[in-house]
Amino acid sequence: MKKKNIFLARRLTGRYASLWVSVIAILLTIVTASILLLIMGKNPLTAFASFLQGCGFLAKENYGGGSGQLTDMLDFLNYLTPLILASLAFITAFKAGLFNIGISGQMLLAGFTATVLVGYNKALSPFIAKPLVLLIGLIVGGLTGVLVGYLKYRFNIHEVVSTIMINYIISYLTGFFINNYHVDMMTRNSKVCTPEARLTLTNVMIGDMKCKIPLGLIIAILIALLVSFLFRKTVLGFEIKAVGQNRRCSEYSGIRVSRTILISMGLSGAIAGLAGVAYYLGYTNTIIPKSLPSMGYDSISVALLGSGSPIGSIFAAAVVSVFQQGSNYMSSSLGVAKEIASLITGILLLFASCGNYMKYLAGRTMQQTSEIASQGSSRTAPASPESKEAKTK
Amino acid sequence: MNKVFTDGLSFALPLLIMAVGALYSEKSGVTNLAIEGFQGVGAFFGALAATLLAPLMGNGNQMIIYIAILCAAVGGALFSCIHGLLCIRFRANQVISGVVINILSVALTAFFTSAANTAINGTASNKFVLDVSARFSIPLLSQIPWIGGLFTNMYPFEIIIIVLVIILWYLLNRTRFGMRLRACGENPQAVDAAGANVIRIRWAAVMISGALSGIGGICFAYSLIGNFSPSIYQGFGYLAIAAMIFGNWSIGPTTLACLVFGLAKSGGLQLCIAAGLPSNYTDLFLMLPYVLTLLLLVFFSKKNHPPKAAGEPWDKSKR
Repeated sequence: MKKKNIFLARRLTGRYASLWVSVIAILLTIVTASILLLIMGKNPLTAFASFLQGCGFLAKENYGGGSGQLTDMLDFLNYLTPLILASLAFITAFKAGLFNIGISGQMLLAGFTATVLVGYNKALSPFIAKPLVLLIGLIVGGLTGVLVGYLKYRFNIHEVVSTIMINYIISYLTGFFINNYHVDMMTRNSKVCTPEARLTLTNVMIGDMKCKIPLGLIIAILIALLVSFLFRKTVLGFEIKAVGQNRRCSEYSGIRVSRTILISMGLSGAIAGLAGVAYYLGYTNTIIPKSLPSMGYDSISVALLGSGSPIGSIFAAAVVSVFQQGSNYMSSSLGVAKEIASLITGILLLFASCGNYMKYLAGRTMQQTSEIASQGSSRTAPASPESKEAKTK
Repeated sequence: MNKVFTDGLSFALPLLIMAVGALYSEKSGVTNLAIEGFQGVGAFFGALAATLLAPLMGNGNQMIIYIAILCAAVGGALFSCIHGLLCIRFRANQVISGVVINILSVALTAFFTSAANTAINGTASNKFVLDVSARFSIPLLSQIPWIGGLFTNMYPFEIIIIVLVIILWYLLNRTRFGMRLRACGENPQAVDAAGANVIRIRWAAVMISGALSGIGGICFAYSLIGNFSPSIYQGFGYLAIAAMIFGNWSIGPTTLACLVFGLAKSGGLQLCIAAGLPSNYTDLFLMLPYVLTLLLLVFFSKKNHPPKAAGEPWDKSKR
């Protein structure tokens, strides 16, 4: 037991500590979810298999006409695209010590503006419409982000409170316009946008399977690389990180804190805007009035799970997407309520947020073992309660 | 005009009890953005108790409401232990912990509501239907011109909340426990040196805040919404936090802030009806409290004095 304990502690203090924290969080979540499923009288193994089947990682038993494993896989990627972008948006603000809870609202406003301005314009060719949609997403989201940053440094309003307020304002405002001017009488949602403007190609035949191809995925991966480059190699990225670690210290060393806050919040909003157009003009093609996309909150768990790394967030997004996207099939094949997907995401978030404590405990265990080793092996190691905790965490 | 006051007060008081909950937690040095989650989970426990008790005690029995409020307080306090565990024991970032709890609570209540409904009556509905609480008017006071509306058609819980807030004010400002609690948020090292247990005081504060938020949540479920469903998460918890900031972490001004929000909300709706606008326009007026919050924060945030140690995990070895 003791040996295993040290094994974990060494991993958690080593070079890939953050990766190990994520792995442990995922494992703990799977254990917790399995217990929950067992209590409900379901077999956890079949449940997790059906999550994977719903996303096209494993083959289902039978498929309807015109669909196959590839269809499910591409549907999964279609959902993954905006989630990657949204989590990158969270990371960009998070590095500056800002919590952008307003990603949902920024997504909604960008998606709404792009739908109204471009999505309903039937005259545009796809080669103009698609870049225009992206541009509108960037600008609208960016401006909303800049507003939050401005409120933060000029009026000292905590960004969590201001973004939540702006979320509700956007939700009611767009809901009002959709209900009055753009509503589809049959579905009570907004009218669908034109296929020219949509960032996902629908009804593409690959073999005999009807597939959707998310063009946004390329952009999402490109942005992930760009954000990674920004924080690794550029002065601006360094300044943002410095402000996030110690605002007063960076001010003394000559960094213009207010400007940095504005830029990082603006960038975060702009990426959230991209996520919004990828969601509303890609994954779906309508907007449900007065409902904020839950993806804005899922993105926080993705960012935490990826421990703030842009590249890591791609993989973390894939893990969260498996649960969210696979829940439909899981719920229909096993009869467990669909809400379990959000519950699993929540539990994942809970464990991921304990990451620092895991590292702290691991550091202490390592220190203790080195002390014991230096004292000589003649004395037996005291069974301290801390080391037991390190194991359970 | 009377309706503005009546509805305004019935919105403001549950908001106030949640704001006082947030205030207790923050005064003890634990930043609490989890109010939204606490109130939802508290309301869930209350509504669950009411749904279970309704067949036993007869529908429309008003005693159920008081039991539901009690259960909501206990449930909220139990759920707030997660926040305490993350913030006090595990030294997680307190803002992250708050956000995590809000996300978790939405998922938890949605999942368990449909699970409980399946177990009770076999339908996987995502809401508990509650009776609307009975109302009463105070005989003489409700006849006063202009402000008489404040005393007509009151819910019984409004009286409970007013009494509770007065007790809580006394507890925070006039007792030894309250003084130590406030000191924990300013200088926990001094509290420790004086021989009090910082950890225990912070735990107490977080659990009080959970219980109070739970009461606020079930009051909203019984008055404004009339059932328990995911629509309980409308951002009331965040509004309460905004009211607390606007009230500069002090119970008196916070009460005023809550009244302003309540009157803005009911006034906006009545204005919409009085102006004869179609029901589509209510969305614009529902936006009003949020816009007002932002504007007020713009004017009042600059001079604020948040508790000095709020947001920092307590570390005994630090000076």
